[in-house]
Amino acid sequence: MFCGYKPDILWSPHHADRYVICDTELSLYRIGPAGSSESKAGALAISEETAATLLAINSDTPYMKCVAWYPKHEPECLLAVGQANGRVVLTSLGQSHNSKCKELVGKEFVPKHARQCNTLAWNPVDSNWLAAGLDKHRADFSVLIWDISSKFSPEAVPTEKLRLSGDTDSGLVVTKPLYELGQNDACLSLCWLPRDHQKLLLAGMHRNLAIFDLRNTSQKTFVNTKAIQGVTVDPHFQDRVASFFEGQVAIWDLRKFEKPVFTLTEQPKPLIKVAWCPTRMGLLATLTRDSNIIRLYDMQHTPMPFGDEGEPTIIERGVQPCSESIISSLAWHPSAQNRMVVVSPNRVMNDFTVFERISLAWSSTTSLMWACGRHLYECAEDAGPGAAAVEKDIATKMRERAQSRYGHDTVQVWRNHMLAGGDDPQLRSICLTGSCFHKYTENMEQKQQVNKQSLIYSGIKNIAKTSSGTTETRRCWSGSDRQTDVPRYHSEERSLALQLCGWISQGPDIDVEPFLKTLEQEGEWERAAAVALFNLDIRRAIQILNKGASSEKGDLNLNVVAMALSGYTDEKNSLWREMCSSLRLQLKKPYLCIMFAFLTSEPGTYDGVLYEGRVAVRDRVAFACMFLNDAQLPRYVDKLTNEMKEAGNLEGILLTGLTKDGVDLMESYVDRTGDVQTASFCMLKGSSGEVLKDPRVQCWIENYRNLLDAWRFWHKRAEFDIHRSKLDPSSKPLAQVFVSCNFCGKSISYSCSAMPHQGRGFSQYGVSGSPTKSKVTSCPGCRKPLPRCALCLMNMGTPVSSCPGMERCYEKADLTRDKKLAQFNNWFTWCHNCRHGGHAGHMLSWFRDHSECPVSACTCKCMQLDTTGNLVPSDSV
Amino acid sequence: MELHILEHSLKVASIAKEGIQICTHGLIKLAFLPSKTRCKFFSLTETPEDYTIIVDEDGFKELPESEYLSVADATWLALNVVSGGGSATSSQPIGVTKIAKSVIAPLADHNISVFMLSTYQTDFILVRERDLPMVMHTLSAEFTLLKVVNGETVAANSTEVTNGFVKPKLALSSVPRPIIHPLSSPSNMFCVTSLDPDTLPSVATLLMDVMFYSGGAKEAVGQSEDSGHIRFFSFSLIEGYISLVMDEQTTRRFPNNVLFTSASGELWKMVRIGGQPLGFDECGIVAQISEPLATADIPAYYISTFKFDHALVPEENIQSVIGALRTNESTGQ
Repeated sequence: MFCGYKPDILWSPHHADRYVICDTELSLYRIGPAGSSESKAGALAISEETAATLLAINSDTPYMKCVAWYPKHEPECLLAVGQANGRVVLTSLGQSHNSKCKELVGKEFVPKHARQCNTLAWNPVDSNWLAAGLDKHRADFSVLIWDISSKFSPEAVPTEKLRLSGDTDSGLVVTKPLYELGQNDACLSLCWLPRDHQKLLLAGMHRNLAIFDLRNTSQKTFVNTKAIQGVTVDPHFQDRVASFFEGQVAIWDLRKFEKPVFTLTEQPKPLIKVAWCPTRMGLLATLTRDSNIIRLYDMQHTPMPFGDEGEPTIIERGVQPCSESIISSLAWHPSAQNRMVVVSPNRVMNDFTVFERISLAWSSTTSLMWACGRHLYECAEDAGPGAAAVEKDIATKMRERAQSRYGHDTVQVWRNHMLAGGDDPQLRSICLTGSCFHKYTENMEQKQQVNKQSLIYSGIKNIAKTSSGTTETRRCWSGSDRQTDVPRYHSEERSLALQLCGWISQGPDIDVEPFLKTLEQEGEWERAAAVALFNLDIRRAIQILNKGASSEKGDLNLNVVAMALSGYTDEKNSLWREMCSSLRLQLKKPYLCIMFAFLTSEPGTYDGVLYEGRVAVRDRVAFACMFLNDAQLPRYVDKLTNEMKEAGNLEGILLTGLTKDGVDLMESYVDRTGDVQTASFCMLKGSSGEVLKDPRVQCWIENYRNLLDAWRFWHKRAEFDIHRSKLDPSSKPLAQVFVSCNFCGKSISYSCSAMPHQGRGFSQYGVSGSPTKSKVTSCPGCRKPLPRCALCLMNMGTPVSSCPGMERCYEKADLTRDKKLAQFNNWFTWCHNCRHGGHAGHMLSWFRDHSECPVSACTCKCMQLDTTGNLVPSDSV
Repeated sequence: MELHILEHSLKVASIAKEGIQICTHGLIKLAFLPSKTRCKFFSLTETPEDYTIIVDEDGFKELPESEYLSVADATWLALNVVSGGGSATSSQPIGVTKIAKSVIAPLADHNISVFMLSTYQTDFILVRERDLPMVMHTLSAEFTLLKVVNGETVAANSTEVTNGFVKPKLALSSVPRPIIHPLSSPSNMFCVTSLDPDTLPSVATLLMDVMFYSGGAKEAVGQSEDSGHIRFFSFSLIEGYISLVMDEQTTRRFPNNVLFTSASGELWKMVRIGGQPLGFDECGIVAQISEPLATADIPAYYISTFKFDHALVPEENIQSVIGALRTNESTGQ
């Protein structure tokens, strides 16, 4: 339906390149590629690629109100035009030689009483039938169904009465309709129902939608609604109908016709056109008056609700086919995907293709898929040898790490670093820190020093703050009797910090020699030398450097450094000092650099050492603990902590510990890397309850669990959960599933725990099968028998003969995997659909060979209903 | 059958012929510029005596206060009968005839005064707002009552109210209602027609001429009365639909193809009811006329005005109508 003077568009139902623009006249256009040889000079460019050529104009039918294109191939280009006085005229465009068309063209269908024709619709099957919807007349029907093949019927109209109609062109005037519907009402829009071509949906003035069946016109289904304009059936979903009223579109389901399934958000201006896209499921275009934007509603994934489900999800978009001009009508292309032609009030046409919404999804295994229109694209991480240069995605890394059981070694925490691949310095650091924390905690536990334990996990930052009773010593360079002017500080907390940094081992002993030995073994010559030097042992430092130079793959330059070192003099103005302090900056190796920085700096000002970012945090902190006084140390640690937090550097965990500060730091790390795996493990490890309750921590843990699920690493996920419930008892889920007795409805395990004398071991019912001794085959509450296994026909709870090891299972605490599985075999399982079931082991073996339920005469395909039952864990062990 | 109680609160007013010029601004706005007002229901009927205006509250604001303007004190509601779509017989009586027995007679029996307005599209039965409960009570047996609220049609529940009158015995068809008021039948023939709202601007000046300048030099009043010719013109614009009643001569002034005409080109003759102004309180007048017509299965339009009532019947039936009504008249007297 359209206003007679604003242009509307109709696509030819059979020629994908032809359409008609109708305003005061009908103009047939052919659409073709722009600039091609066949396009003539008169072609109008209507998009960058296409141009329209005017083929024919028909201005025989004035007062046009609506137009409908004959749906069949033959005769092509036959149009029905509804006029302002209610007459329907058949006309044609550019088909002068078609004889079949000829006898129809010019035929007029005249209602008894003149009034506006609002809408026309050809029957999709019986294409001789043309339904016309008219305005109201007090004594006439509003819907007339004409048979275009019917001949002029002279008895219908006494010719002498035709004085006012002024048109007696007989032979072509038909006044007797095939059917008349809708008395005393106006018809604003109508459509034939594709499901049943005898049915017609009408929208009437009296605010109702009605479905008439032509086989019995006295019966109708109808519903009162305001949305009575522009009824149109979804071509892809024949029970779905859209209709509108002013700015609101209502979507109906004809099977549930009482009320709209939903209504779309109201638009401020009245709608003039609503059209389903014929090439794309559930896409509805709407156009409001005086607007240059077409609103699209994507109902692709909308389930058609029969119950009272919540609001469906509809994606709404606006598209602007031509930037400035107002659109007066639109028409979807019948076959080209998402393509439409729009026309402006001054007949400027525009060929436009709606760009398909891209939906994109990451798989859990780092490939990326996206869909656009009918195409599906995949982008996978290149696993080829050339890809090594590019850093792998964190998801891939996490997946690999999870596969190698990263994080699961809770005894030798530092080994987790190796499990993670051993190439990430940050992870190495965090594992070492974790390891230290862990070791010391264990140690403290043995010594029952509970308060110290909490101190350790709160990090060096807090330890440094609590430092008290610091003593200052000035020691000699070992191996030399020269007194240094370097003050060194000692306190209990400082040595604890040094221990945590790994410089000295536990206990009262503060000797660094074991640490130096370890470093030498690992070939970290420079670092070892630096540590030795910081412990005021130049000789040892030189010795280490020499060793390093002479070792396999050793750097001969170390000898040179050793020589330089040996020339150390504490004289302030010596050439050595001057040269070293300037040349040290050119040293590539950070540890060598800080050695000279230390030697050449004034006591108390060690910025060259403390702020050398390439040096491990633990070494710098250890250095600070030795050489900074009580005022400088907390300030330095604070500053470094903030630096670490900002950078999300896991080395900083040593400073922050697993406190709120630590969570902040970890947050920064996760923000940078997305590595929730490390975050989860790290935070779980010995963190206090308060930290675990932090929503961020919970979020990481949940996300990691979801990731494991998505990877189908169900065993890892279970291990993680077990690990988690050990460290965080509050995370242990409560029992959610109970087995209840069929007769009394009480939970079997519940009644056991309520009446403990009724037999021990009941509480394990759902977990481990039945306790053998009490031989329970009946409900402890009501003593009625428990259900039987459909296969072995034994009552539930009876031990199965195929599991001889049951007795021992109870004796041994740590069950082997086989035993665990054997226990699982005794679990009771049942199908949620047919309610048959039995021992899990029996069921599993049954469904290995069968698809139907083992109960005879039950045809339930139980296993196929179980979607997760068909999935295989990808970390199967 | 459904009876729709429409939303419009209507006023019925009369403008004296000599005072029409002070109201023309408002009337033109109401008739030709519907987008400039919020009026949804407007009807203007010119009779030799006056102009009768039926207009909703929004439209009423457009009219000036004046000594020439007299307004019936009640607020009226429009009722509309909808057949509910079922199959209809091939020859259906038109208009008031159809609803004479189902609506008009029962309302007359319950002493409810009605005011009729037939249009090209439908028939409106106007009842006073205060009578509505009684109307609903009376008609609930035969109709599904639906009320239009904010554009939505909802079921209206009738409450058990009576106006104190005992339900009278059903008027037996053998005892016709007596006709109380004198009847007359002017000689000119009328057209009931409509036009496309889009073409309204093109004939607006012509319509204005017909509406407001009829009393001019062209037609001498005395002359027309002598020949039994009556000046009668009705224009209504109700919910976007235009309806026109004018005599045959006037239709010739319109260009071709503007007015909607029926295929049969039917013409109507008028029966004018009342010698004295009828007032608004007397009930049963419409019933007196429409019942005999319904019995004889003669289609009719019925237009009430401020002073008199007018029924339109097909020209070929006028003699039998007059005959039937005269019989009743005599029995009544």
